[in-house]
Amino acid sequence: MELWRKAGLAVRKKVAFFILIGWALLLIGDRVDELRVYQGAQIAMYTIALASIVLLTGYSGQVSLGNGAMMAVGGYAAALTLNNLGSPVWFAFLMAIVASALFGAFLGTAAARLSGPYLAGTTLALAVGLPEIANQFAFLGGVPGLLFDVGFPPARFGEEFSQYKWFFWIASFIALLALFITSNILQSRYGRTWRAIRSSPLAAELSGINSSRMKILAFTISSALAGLAGAVMAMTISLVAPGAYTLTLSFALVTGAVLAGVSSLPGVVFGALILVAIPEIADVVANRFGGGENLNNYLPSLIVSVLLILSVIFTPNGPGEKLRRHHHKKST
Amino acid sequence: MIRKTRRKGTWLAATVLAVGSLFATSLPAYAETGVTSKEIKLGITLPLTGAASPGYNKIGNAMNAYFKYVNDNGGVYGRKVTLIQKNDEYSPQLSIAKTNELVLKDKVFALVGPLGTANYTSVHKSVGIAKRGIPSLFLNTGFSGFGSKKTYPTSFMVLPSYAMEAKIIAQFLKENHAGKKLGIVYQNDEFGIDGMGAFKAAGTKFDVSVAYTSGTQSAATAQTWVSQLAAGGAQVVVFFGVTSATAPLLAVAAGAKYAPQWILGSVGADPLTLRALGVPLAVLNGAQTPAGNPSPNDTSDEYVKQFQEVNAKYNAGTAFDDYVLQGMNIALMTVQGLRAAGSNPTRKKLISAMETKGSSFASVAYSPLGFSKTSNVGHTGYYMAVMDANGDRKPFGGKVKLYTTDSGSGPVVVSTFKRPAMPAKGLPSNS
Repeated sequence: MELWRKAGLAVRKKVAFFILIGWALLLIGDRVDELRVYQGAQIAMYTIALASIVLLTGYSGQVSLGNGAMMAVGGYAAALTLNNLGSPVWFAFLMAIVASALFGAFLGTAAARLSGPYLAGTTLALAVGLPEIANQFAFLGGVPGLLFDVGFPPARFGEEFSQYKWFFWIASFIALLALFITSNILQSRYGRTWRAIRSSPLAAELSGINSSRMKILAFTISSALAGLAGAVMAMTISLVAPGAYTLTLSFALVTGAVLAGVSSLPGVVFGALILVAIPEIADVVANRFGGGENLNNYLPSLIVSVLLILSVIFTPNGPGEKLRRHHHKKST
Repeated sequence: MIRKTRRKGTWLAATVLAVGSLFATSLPAYAETGVTSKEIKLGITLPLTGAASPGYNKIGNAMNAYFKYVNDNGGVYGRKVTLIQKNDEYSPQLSIAKTNELVLKDKVFALVGPLGTANYTSVHKSVGIAKRGIPSLFLNTGFSGFGSKKTYPTSFMVLPSYAMEAKIIAQFLKENHAGKKLGIVYQNDEFGIDGMGAFKAAGTKFDVSVAYTSGTQSAATAQTWVSQLAAGGAQVVVFFGVTSATAPLLAVAAGAKYAPQWILGSVGADPLTLRALGVPLAVLNGAQTPAGNPSPNDTSDEYVKQFQEVNAKYNAGTAFDDYVLQGMNIALMTVQGLRAAGSNPTRKKLISAMETKGSSFASVAYSPLGFSKTSNVGHTGYYMAVMDANGDRKPFGGKVKLYTTDSGSGPVVVSTFKRPAMPAKGLPSNS
């Protein structure tokens, strides 16, 4: 209570806002069918993953194409923790954060020395290579991967409470918490420092900012978020396997972030919605043109690529950013 | 002001529509998921593309061909049977995603013939097959773990388990290859490990043992397998993997002039698929294999003859091989299951029908079906066959000697079981 009183009005408003959103999600989860509930869990997962890109690229100005690999680190860390230690689920998620943050800090040290296409190239190689490492070690389960079973929903929720709704609740709670914390970090002096580095690294250095250290910090926090998203993804498919964290996933995340407006945290929900909608659109298109199952499997990647190219050509900062600027111009 | 009011109205309408659609999607459309007065919707996930697809990619179309034949002849109690195929590329995560689509989006009545041990293990847990009471008929995998009625109460196998297969091969090795140096190449997931456990329990000792990871099979990896087998001097080599791994193994061995007595596991011994993968069929000459079904070329067999006719009419252009035969047989048994569930089928009725009547279903395989209230095991035995230079197979010793056993410590016995006759015109009339 004391803490609540001490918190500023803005923080209290933000907490109330997130609680309201959580309550609305609970209501929606009770009223939609299971497919939408499952997609809701996926949206929550993508929201966290896109937030990691917004923090890294939109704020600190570091371009990473390896978020899928970071998600893999989190997913495997969570599965290994749960399966080998028999720990509670929350601890597995915590270990996903810790492992991916440590990995991110290590990688960030190298990344801080790189920029632009060199950094993008390095992280791209990571996205290609890291998930495949799992194929080489038996304890990582090879191609079939490892099961990640968070268990059935508590019996007190009743027989009708489905596994998907359980996933949705957990994923939504984690996503809201992650967004709340990320939003506070971005509005803190760290966020302002990262923006300063992104706008002008030289000016930031002259102002006394240790840009290398701040970049490593951004990489670490971003990796932690990506790892958390990877663990949430593992939960929604009950599995961690190299095939789940592909290069396609990394590109899809970049596309989602670009479409959302890469420096907009609220935009990540929009980006996540698009990413979940793409397979649906592909399904409609494939059925319409009689492309069948094969087309259905490859069309989402094609749509992602086309959207990314179109977005880069017509709205380099993303349509979300353009809409926001348009709205801002109109209101002033 | 007017514009503002209009905009408000539009937002209100959009909100009402959105909320309305949310509620609408939560309303059940029919009394039983996937069944209408005109249709029964079934689903299957299988690899239509990718490394493991050769052979397996024929099963769905073969099933569809048989269902079309049944539909053209009145369907199941007047209902058309529709099969939705989803391509999982033999990857567990895609299998989960695709099964979710089948269950949540396509709202199928039951799953039929899902493939892949690792895939189905993940799918069963992730999609909650048992918890949702979704019938999952004729799993096209022999992992003996799926025989657990407690863990998989709504799932039913079709193949004898890999453990049964290994026990029968072990018996065959004892009877026919005693004293020779033995080698084995196996897939190091539940599939191969299941078999290896049974070999060990049967007391079979391999002098050379080579494990490979599913998805890594290629000519390059096969080089290392052959080198190890040849260096170990293996005279009889058992192969316990999929056809896409048999192909490079046999091709590389033939190239290296390494010619042991091959014993190819039932999963990876389809000659037409091997030929399509570039393996000269001559290398199959003399290879021994456990087989459950008659040869797909045996037109004297009433099942094979009927299925060949269906294939020619409804699956034109597709060569009739073991995969097509297996697909059609699964479809034949599915139709019997649906009929046994009655004219108003529910998922519960279908599961109950499988348990109480499933063991009497007509099937092309020679061995008895093991379905009961306490068992979801499908076929329970194999005979050993020998392949010729055309890839055709004949029973070892000239006539079918059927071995039956269980997945546990039960003995391997020679059975005199006579399979039920093919229903007239291949159209079940059971109830």
